[in-house]
Amino acid sequence: MLISIRGLHRVYEVGSEKVHALDGVDLDIAQNEYVAIMGPSGSGKSTLMNLIGCLDTPTSGSYKLKEHEIGTMSDDELARIRNQEIGFVFQTFNLLSRADVLHNVELPLVYAGVKHEERRRRAKESIELVGLTDRIKHKPNELSGGQRQRVAIARALVNKPSIILADEPTGNLDTHTGDEIMAAFKRIWEQGNTVILVTHEADIAAHARRVVRMRDGRIESDVRQDTATMVGAAR
Amino acid sequence: MNLRESAGIALGALRANKMRSFLTLLGTIIGVMSVIAVLSFVEGLNRFVSEKLLNAGANVFWVDPWGFVTSQEAWEKVKDNPAITLDDLDALRVSVPHAAMVVGQADTRALARFREKEVRSVNIRGRGAGYDVIDDISIANGRHLTDLDDQRRRMVCVLGSEVAQELFPHGDPIGQPVRLGAESYEVVGVTADKGKMFGQSQDRFAAIPIRTFQKYKQERGSFGIAVKSIDQASMPTAQQEVRNVLRGRRHLRPGQPDNFGITTSENVMELYHNLTGGIFVVTVGVAAISLLVGGIVIMNIMLVSVTERTREIGIRKAMGARRRDILAQFLVEATTLSLSGGLIGIGVGVGLALLAGAVSPLPTAVSWPAIILGIAMSAGIGIFFGSYPAWRAARLDPIEALRYE
Repeated sequence: MLISIRGLHRVYEVGSEKVHALDGVDLDIAQNEYVAIMGPSGSGKSTLMNLIGCLDTPTSGSYKLKEHEIGTMSDDELARIRNQEIGFVFQTFNLLSRADVLHNVELPLVYAGVKHEERRRRAKESIELVGLTDRIKHKPNELSGGQRQRVAIARALVNKPSIILADEPTGNLDTHTGDEIMAAFKRIWEQGNTVILVTHEADIAAHARRVVRMRDGRIESDVRQDTATMVGAAR
Repeated sequence: MNLRESAGIALGALRANKMRSFLTLLGTIIGVMSVIAVLSFVEGLNRFVSEKLLNAGANVFWVDPWGFVTSQEAWEKVKDNPAITLDDLDALRVSVPHAAMVVGQADTRALARFREKEVRSVNIRGRGAGYDVIDDISIANGRHLTDLDDQRRRMVCVLGSEVAQELFPHGDPIGQPVRLGAESYEVVGVTADKGKMFGQSQDRFAAIPIRTFQKYKQERGSFGIAVKSIDQASMPTAQQEVRNVLRGRRHLRPGQPDNFGITTSENVMELYHNLTGGIFVVTVGVAAISLLVGGIVIMNIMLVSVTERTREIGIRKAMGARRRDILAQFLVEATTLSLSGGLIGIGVGVGLALLAGAVSPLPTAVSWPAIILGIAMSAGIGIFFGSYPAWRAARLDPIEALRYE
């Protein structure tokens, strides 16, 4: 199993009050699944995403990613896991505004300690994959929203991570561009990657093969859908 | 994340905010600049002084009524000391075994004139034979003053090159009669150019035999004796011999203080070093203050930069940057910032020093230790004052940082 989550709790202390953002979550995700995590705001889906993305550690419970126990890791170990295993795609793109496309895509490789030439080569490959080779020297503010998100996808793919983790990837895009981005995720999944989408939009979640619904820090439902249902829901 | 990457990012950030970067660096620039400029000046002075003063005055000491007076108090004690006389000079010439040379020296100023040409305020030097060694001058044309000129009180003179130039722009001065004050002297020699020292021409003089000087000009001049010892080792002995002779001639009892003074070039150097040491301390103080202020400004701007770039830090952390990567990035950025300030400061400081050397008589020399010091100081400032902002950046929580607007 790629991801194995057992009895995961995450408690925040807000003043004197304790908020149970995650209240006992069990979840397994296998290699090459396409999973959407859905839920209204406050359902705990963002907290779950942060934990899966190794940006946060659980209060209690176990999260194993490729047999690494994440809960007991130090900051630097988490950084290494994020670098090697997770490719993030954010709603707000989160590109470095002063760096051009090439440098943005290179970034994970910089922290992986990949040598300059190799870095260049792999970044260019990744950029070609999302069809932005002709924009390689452009800065993010010279690109459209869709193009920016494709840069972010290229960046997420560049270090060949185990999981592509996308947080509302179409939230800042118009419908048409959003569809293009979702098509890109589908291609990525078909190439053998594991894709996890976090969204509150049902028609975005419908692109996935499996939908996990969250409510009040727990998993409410976990449904696998076949292609027919999926397309029906999306169109 | 290697150093080049970080420095590249830092330089990019500097370029993105040119005006802000410049203002930020002003303190560091001024601090380093003043250190470089002053140290270059002191270094220039050092070379100049040790070259001119010590070489010319090697193994030489001077006897006069007062010695090396550096304060009003000291002057009060020695101001009524008896004058040094030609008899003292003659006595020293025969009874100081460790002296290689004993040369009488007296100075005054007078107008020099040849026909309708005049040179004002010429330094008239009464000198015994051997003065060329003590004064470090050489003859370009003609001959030096001799002992015979002195014994016979001849009316002859050796002109400094500048005086000769002005009185005899075309013809040969040798054998011509020149008026120095009230008397007429035959020119027997012209010296080679020596150039300027502290803006003062060293070639604007006329030397005449000391006895001639004493006969015609003594009432207007002071009288001293330069003694050159046989070698460096016999300097103290020679000084003691001079003291013995003079004390004997003046009937001083044991316990009574000398009523004459002996000055060595070491005395002069000591005063000089005190002086430049003072300049050095003041400069270091001023520089330290501006560097402190510069450092605080850099710390402040780095804190602003960390806040502004919270999001960027979050992105970098999400992409796998460890704490030490972020720490290194901001430390390198702060150091690049302060180092650029340092380099600009060095540039401006060296420029100022060279400019000062070119347009004024002040001697300057670029001091390599000062440049290295400037680089080290500015780098140190960056590391020291960059540490706190970099540490703040490094321990930002990635989730919070990513959420930062």
